[in-house]
Parts: sequence; structure tokens; C-alpha cells
Amino acid sequence: MRQEFGRSLDNLQTIVSFTDQFFAQNDIDDSVRYIVDLCVEELFVNMVTYDTETDADILIEMKPHAHGVEVTLTDFDVVRFDPRDVEPVDVDAPLEQRTPGGLGLYLVSKMVSSIHYEYRNRTSKITFIADR
Amino acid sequence: MFQIGFGDAGTIIAAGRLDAAQAPKAQEFLDAVTDECILDLGQLEYISSAGLGVLLRTHKRLMSNGRGLKLINVNRHINDIFMYSGFDKLFEIEAAV
Repeated sequence: MRQEFGRSLDNLQTIVSFTDQFFAQNDIDDSVRYIVDLCVEELFVNMVTYDTETDADILIEMKPHAHGVEVTLTDFDVVRFDPRDVEPVDVDAPLEQRTPGGLGLYLVSKMVSSIHYEYRNRTSKITFIADR
Repeated sequence: MFQIGFGDAGTIIAAGRLDAAQAPKAQEFLDAVTDECILDLGQLEYISSAGLGVLLRTHKRLMSNGRGLKLINVNRHINDIFMYSGFDKLFEIEAAV
């Protein structure tokens, strides 16, 4: 299943509806739903926030994979940004040293079973597996 | 859909999905809180890093006055997110029964 979404946070609810439809059509364990929702949001928001030199829609594809879901987000006409290169967050730091932000991609790295990044012809493609 | 407001006895109730689109609404509401407060998350289905940022920002502000944010009725999925984020070491958290 695939759909393109405009580069706006207002489309997060539409993405949830798209994911609802995918889960309704496929026999996938509900336990992976939260992982899919969170990782799709974090990656989509990251693309919308930082890839600001393009107006191109972002393509989201989902397909069943073993005991979970394979999700791909494709961002067109952008610079290279590999989410796996982001510095880890010190989640053991005391409150006074913690700052809002930076947690999104860290959570993605912790919650997915695997993540793959491909950059070709100014197109960024991130694929992750959310599994039981 | 995300909603936030006061419940009984001054407890703040957050419900629905606290995502990046709804985080400003939550932040605006919590910015008006000046006392120690209890945030009931029993009806909160989902939170992303944007929502975590709202909680952290509010907690730090309140803690600077010796007060803080207590999170109650936290469901299993959201509790997992708090654990991954290290929020279990920063906040007083009560899981849902």
C-alpha cells in the first residue's frame, strides 16, 4: 500500500488513517502498531522540518513483513541525511542537562528491528522493519 | 484528536493523540500552569517525541520552583516510550492498573 503526503504536520492525522487502513487490510499483530505510528511520525516530521528546499510530496509505503511491517519513506529532491548518523541521546543525564528535542530519531533507532538508508539522484529513501 | 483540560481536584487530563501537530496546543495549556501538578494520561493513546518535549519543558520549568509534573495512569505503550527516553528517571510516574 502506498500514498503520497504533502509536507505539512497537518497531514499526520491523514497518515494515521492510511496506517489504520493498512492494518485493517492485513493480518498484522497490533503490538507493532505503536512502533509504526511513532517511527513514521518521527521520520516524516524530520523530513518536513529539515528538507525545506523542496515542495515534493513524501511517499509512504507499507507492506507486511514476517511478523511485522516494512515501511519506506521516500523524500524527493533533497540533500543526503542518514538518520542512523544522528548522535545518541544521553537518556541517563539528569534533568538539568536534558533539553527538549533530539529524541525522535533516537526513539526510532531503539524501536525498529532494522533500518536501512539509501540516497540516489537526490532522493532519500528510509526503510525500517517494525516487528514483534 | 487531542484534548487537554482540568479534571476533578485540579488534575489535568490529556486525551487522544499527542503528536507533533498537537504539541503546541498542549504546550500552550501547560505554560499557564504554575503549581505542582498531576497529569492524568489514562486517556492518552499516543505520544511522540514532540509530546515528550512538551512534558520535559514543563517539568523543568516547574522544577525550577521546586515543583514538578507527576504523570499518572500511564498505559503500557507510553510507559515504554518513557523508559526508552529516560523519563522514568526524571518524572514521578504511576502506571495504569
